[in-house]
Amino acid sequence: MPTNLASGAEYATVGQRRWVWPGFALPGVLWLILLFLVPFYAVFAIAMGQLDPILQRATPEWNPFYWDLTVIGEAFAELFGGQLGVIALRTLAYVFIASLFCVLVGYPVAYFVSRKAGRWRWLWLLLILAPFWINYLMRMMSWVNLLSPDGQVNRWLTTIAGWFSVAFTPPDWLAGNHVVVILGLVYGYIPFFILPLFAALDRIDEATLEASRDLGASNAQTFWRVTWPLSRNGVLGGLVIIMLPMFGDYYTPNLLSGSPRTRMYGNTIDQYINQTTSGGAVGAALTIILMIFIAGLMVYYLRSINRASQEARE
Amino acid sequence: MAYHPRENWSPQLRRRVYTRRDFLHRAALLGIALPALPSLLAACADREGQEGAELAIGTPAKPTQQPLFDDNPAIDSGLEPEDGPLLLYNWEDYMNPETIPLAAEALGVEIQVTTFVNEEEALARLSSGEVQFDVWFPTSQRVPVAVAASLIQPLNHDYLPNLQANVWPQLVDPYYDQGSRYTVPYVTYTTGIGWRTDLADSADIEGQANPWDVFWNEKYSGVIGMLDSFTDVIPVALFHNGVADPSQATEDELVAAGDALVELIDLVDIRYRIDGSYAGLPEGRYAIHQAWSGDLVNSQYFWPGGVDEGTTRYLWPAKSEGSTTKGAISSDTMTVLKGSERPVLAHAFLNYMLDEANALKNFEYVGYQPPQNGLTSEYLISEEWLLPHLAPALVAPEDFELDSAWVQGPLDAATEALWVEQWNRANSGG
Repeated sequence: MPTNLASGAEYATVGQRRWVWPGFALPGVLWLILLFLVPFYAVFAIAMGQLDPILQRATPEWNPFYWDLTVIGEAFAELFGGQLGVIALRTLAYVFIASLFCVLVGYPVAYFVSRKAGRWRWLWLLLILAPFWINYLMRMMSWVNLLSPDGQVNRWLTTIAGWFSVAFTPPDWLAGNHVVVILGLVYGYIPFFILPLFAALDRIDEATLEASRDLGASNAQTFWRVTWPLSRNGVLGGLVIIMLPMFGDYYTPNLLSGSPRTRMYGNTIDQYINQTTSGGAVGAALTIILMIFIAGLMVYYLRSINRASQEARE
Repeated sequence: MAYHPRENWSPQLRRRVYTRRDFLHRAALLGIALPALPSLLAACADREGQEGAELAIGTPAKPTQQPLFDDNPAIDSGLEPEDGPLLLYNWEDYMNPETIPLAAEALGVEIQVTTFVNEEEALARLSSGEVQFDVWFPTSQRVPVAVAASLIQPLNHDYLPNLQANVWPQLVDPYYDQGSRYTVPYVTYTTGIGWRTDLADSADIEGQANPWDVFWNEKYSGVIGMLDSFTDVIPVALFHNGVADPSQATEDELVAAGDALVELIDLVDIRYRIDGSYAGLPEGRYAIHQAWSGDLVNSQYFWPGGVDEGTTRYLWPAKSEGSTTKGAISSDTMTVLKGSERPVLAHAFLNYMLDEANALKNFEYVGYQPPQNGLTSEYLISEEWLLPHLAPALVAPEDFELDSAWVQGPLDAATEALWVEQWNRANSGG
């Protein structure tokens, strides 16, 4: 009965297909469980774990029934009214100012490359990507060289001052300067902002801009009413990409300053985990607090992306 | 920071890039290690069965013997070394890379080195039991904990003839482990003040009753720094306030120390850096910086342009003319792990490292000084292993016996929390 056989085979393929396509997600799911969920759980287990009596180290408590909320409670108390609050506010200020700079500098660059660079845009993209080829730390260390008391920057400034016979004491850029740390953050993260924004600007259909002009809008009006709304999610996406790592950054202030004045939230986490014996739980608790805060930002981002895609469908 | 290892001033001096003591710095660079998977396997410690163990903590004034346990015996004498590979667990960049093949050849086995960036990481991995090594290099402060937790095994001195023959008597029978029951010394160092004679006035440090006070000298605003390590900074503030033994400091004394450190932010624009002494002084980023003695030895390789201009100085306040304050002294050790599968071979390796020529070979790269009778400061300077103006950065055997030599013990969790609280105040900035 060949027909029956054939239909049987057909059923088999349908049955297989049901698993084949979701099956492709399996490696990714395993990856997420192993390298995201398990470490994530471990952070909670350590923050709410116990102290090893001999080694005096924080040990994870894997059973949530025994979780101890003392440390995380203390960390919250320290955040609202303690030393940590000062550091957290400073970190917020640094990240927001640095992000603002990224937008002010990055938007025109992305706009230029996507709209005006013409046949040279590959070169511009290449130049923007070039810093990626060098490790972040190497780039920061070269800034340390440039900004050191007898570094190139001060040498140029002294030379220029010499031309105009102005008395000039070279500043010590690396002695705990807020501006230097913020500019370090901007410099380090701006390529990550430009690229997604470039992609968003590049997707805007030329026809919509022409339509805007045909309808009598000036260049400025076209930008505000068409380009900006269409690129807004690109800006948000770029901001998410740069702000998340900035909140946890600690090597930029370490390398470019080292002063208590420029200490960031990430430095405190680093200190508890790498310098103290018993402070591992505090480090984990601070990590959780940061994650909660960042999750809030992500929710805002996802909602606005969602709204935009709904508007696009309507 | 510009690393400028100098290679040319003496043919014996070899290039070196890092010291073990920038571990905090590099720990930072390596990223925050999520203390995750490794400890998963260990975990599930017995909740009720744990009791606080008494640690045998010795000081030079009150030396102590580490306890022996029936279930942790030393190996018998007269055994043949096992086959390799020998597995070492050491700080990063804390052994001359040339030493490893040489030792492998001498012992006739392969040697593999695994590194850790700080002792917390090392303790976590060793106590979890998930790793197997033969030889571990803990600081002397960690020895009581390692013994109490049965991480290391007692040594059989029959396999270690070089200990008696070559090592300073003070460290053959050290205060932290009398009779060298569990450890042999690796290197030794002090914590003091490094400065540049062309950028700072030496008279502000030398000949002072309390050289540590220089960190509160407004004159050096913006060009002064301390180590980014609270166990090194808090004692300075306590010494500045006249506390005799930082390990015994009361809460009030710690708060006062915190106040003194907070004052430094506006007074001298203090900065905390791990590389401030060995790289920051030669590069002129600092005029004065707190320093580990071994880092000052290493500073000779970090001069921009490659030439040590001879203006770096080091002073250990515990041994300075007219000084009435104290200063920290410490040593790092070599131990055989309890779980070692090659304990005889591990003993042979310890003995190899205690040989004078081998210790010198290692010093050439590490910069931290092995406590060898033959390697006196006169010898090291005459043989051009060290520039003469850096001689005070060497430790002398008698230094351990000075009343002014202070030894940092391990801090229990409650005390450490008090220290960290003050450090957070000092480090949050205005």
